Amino acid sequence: MAISDAAPLVETRNLVKKFGAFTALNGVSLKVYPGEVHALLGDNGAGKSTLIKVLSGVFPATDGEILVEGKAVKFASPRNATEAGIGTVYQDLALNPLSSVTRNFFLGRELTHFSSPFALMKMKEMHRIAAEEMAKIGITITDPEQAVGTMSGGQRQTLAIARAIYFGAKVLILDEPTSALGQKQQMEVLKTIRRVQQLGDIAIILITHNEIHARLIADRFTFLSLGEVIGSGTSKDLEGDDIKRLMAGGAEIGDLAKELAV
Amino acid sequence: MNTSETTRQEADRHASKSWFATIFARPEIGPIGVMLLLFGMLGYFSIPAGEFSWNPFAGEGFNALGIRNNLKVISQLAIIALGAGLLIIAGEFDLSIGSMIGFAGACMAMILRWGFSVIIPYLSFEGGIHLEFFTLLHIPDVSPLGALLITLCFTLFFGWLQGYIVVKSGLPSFIVTLGGLFFLRGLTEVSLRSFNHRPDQAKGATTVTEIPDIKNIVDVPGHGEMEREAAKALPETDLLNILKDVPADTVASLSERLAHTYQRVADAKTAIMTERGVKPLERALENAIESGNEQMVTTIQDKIATFKIDPVVAKSVTDIDIARAYIDTLHSARPIANFFGGDIMEPVFDWLYFPIDWNTNNFGNQFAQGLYSCVMICLIMALLCYVVLSRTQAGNWIYSTGGNLMAAKANGVPTNKVKIALFVFSAFCATIFAACQVFEVNTADAARGNLKELEAIAAAVIGGIVMTGGFGTVLGIIVGAFIFGLAKEAFFYIPGIDGSFYRVFLGLVIVASALLNENIRKRIMGAI
Repeated sequence: MAISDAAPLVETRNLVKKFGAFTALNGVSLKVYPGEVHALLGDNGAGKSTLIKVLSGVFPATDGEILVEGKAVKFASPRNATEAGIGTVYQDLALNPLSSVTRNFFLGRELTHFSSPFALMKMKEMHRIAAEEMAKIGITITDPEQAVGTMSGGQRQTLAIARAIYFGAKVLILDEPTSALGQKQQMEVLKTIRRVQQLGDIAIILITHNEIHARLIADRFTFLSLGEVIGSGTSKDLEGDDIKRLMAGGAEIGDLAKELAV
Repeated sequence: MNTSETTRQEADRHASKSWFATIFARPEIGPIGVMLLLFGMLGYFSIPAGEFSWNPFAGEGFNALGIRNNLKVISQLAIIALGAGLLIIAGEFDLSIGSMIGFAGACMAMILRWGFSVIIPYLSFEGGIHLEFFTLLHIPDVSPLGALLITLCFTLFFGWLQGYIVVKSGLPSFIVTLGGLFFLRGLTEVSLRSFNHRPDQAKGATTVTEIPDIKNIVDVPGHGEMEREAAKALPETDLLNILKDVPADTVASLSERLAHTYQRVADAKTAIMTERGVKPLERALENAIESGNEQMVTTIQDKIATFKIDPVVAKSVTDIDIARAYIDTLHSARPIANFFGGDIMEPVFDWLYFPIDWNTNNFGNQFAQGLYSCVMICLIMALLCYVVLSRTQAGNWIYSTGGNLMAAKANGVPTNKVKIALFVFSAFCATIFAACQVFEVNTADAARGNLKELEAIAAAVIGGIVMTGGFGTVLGIIVGAFIFGLAKEAFFYIPGIDGSFYRVFLGLVIVASALLNENIRKRIMGAI
């Protein structure tokens, strides 16, 4: 499935981000290919969140460069990143639970009959598109007027992902999509990610704490620790213990066992 | 392991509901129930004691005058509740609505009464330091439209300012608009007192009176523009001259109508006099039955049966009467003033009087002239608000701004603009309310609109608007205004009960509605 010979959709070269004296990212290089799930793993404080915030235009990078489809880009705002095709699905999903599926799907980008906030929305078309786009990645909704608050966590993830893809995301950044979900819904989300993967032209950056999920779905891994890449490779390259070790920031499990024994 | 082959999906858990369940899941259904209850209460309790009717329109509550007055109260409240409600949906409050009504009314009335001036105060040092005033601009006669537009400049700016402060400072709108509440009320009183030093006004009064009845200025043929009442009081020769140019069929229909009125009045008088004559006889009959005097009973019964007075003779219709009736039919020469303060649907109410004979009071005269035009204004505004809130992009922005501010911002919704626009709209609604009052009664008072901000918020809450924002409908707001307006009238007619119980009732309804709204919100949020 991994198409390593294709050109990377997104690449970072020696990305550095400093907050005053604190170095959050110290030269991170990363290549993300279309049709691949790229798992970004690491302990708390490893720099995962900073990396995705730089990629999604929330923070400007201090040094280094970001390339989208081979071209160097600079993001002054999240809007720039979205326009360049980087769609970020945050943990809170940016949904309004009291509104309907369709209204959330098109929030801020409603289809209207002419260009004015007071123009009537094309409600039927919006219902249809929302249902179709969600069906593409595996969730059929019986009622597009259903309030988002009544949907399961997995369905909400799907809605947010479908929305990002529909509005032009070529790279999808998923921030801990399976945390705070039940077992079954975690599987729903993984299935959704798999379907996006199968679309073939979208690259996914998956931030997770859960190595099992990463093993199940990811084609490529990058491990971060203290702002640096401490290991990377495709799913074939890595053995189970490698992943455990790298997740823990490079320490051997054996060492941990010793530490715990006191 | 026993696994079923059917692939059950997450979506299947959200069963589609029957139409019945769909209707009852609507958030407005509770308020609509209460509204229907109040309709029934008002209708039946207002039927006079001793009479019985299944028709709720038989009583005083829903006779022509009752409908006219109730709809006025309801629609005026609905106008400001729309402004308050939309703002609450976007997650903010406006406590300055009441003071804004007082301010706008005073501003409009002052401009209509004394004209509009721009005066620049400056310090003068000649003969001691004192303030001098330089009049930059004075327009003595401002049209109703001009007065309204100038007032809107002030009120909309103030609404914008409040919104701007709330959005930029992040302060709770409760505090910012509470400041607005005191500031505007004080400013209104101060301005009115300082203007009322003139000899023609009571010194220091916080009212504006003696504004001409602008909506009733008509263009009388041969006399130019004058007030309707003044036209009707013209010398008889003038009235007859006016009538000369009126088409014959108009005269005929006016005269037929007047003949009906005079006959109806005469009949009513006859009926009243007959009743007056029969009443003592009936009392005597009761006494006779009690004392068992059978001969007396039959005599009195005979007398009652044959009781007759000479029917009152109807007045004859004169040309003067027709001329006056004709002046009544002239259209207002000030359409803007008439739009806000006049009546609507007069032909319908005329028709209900003659030939339908329903819109008739006890003395045989026409009861209500029409509906107050604020009913129409309220309908127009409600329709526009409904379209904007439920059908347009702006509506989606309003819902999301109140429902999840961060999500709205993350999706590129200009939440600050949405909030400021709704503060401005709230001020606009208050100004429209004030315009309806000023042009209807031709006076202004600094105390106008007192507590209206709380009534507006209460109506919105009763109508299913969730206080934390993001949820509610225009239909709900209108129903809330109906409940608020009907409650007072309905409780007034309950026999043997203090009229103030309506406040007790409303207090309960407000809390109950808020609890219900919170329950609906939690259910949608998935917390229940």
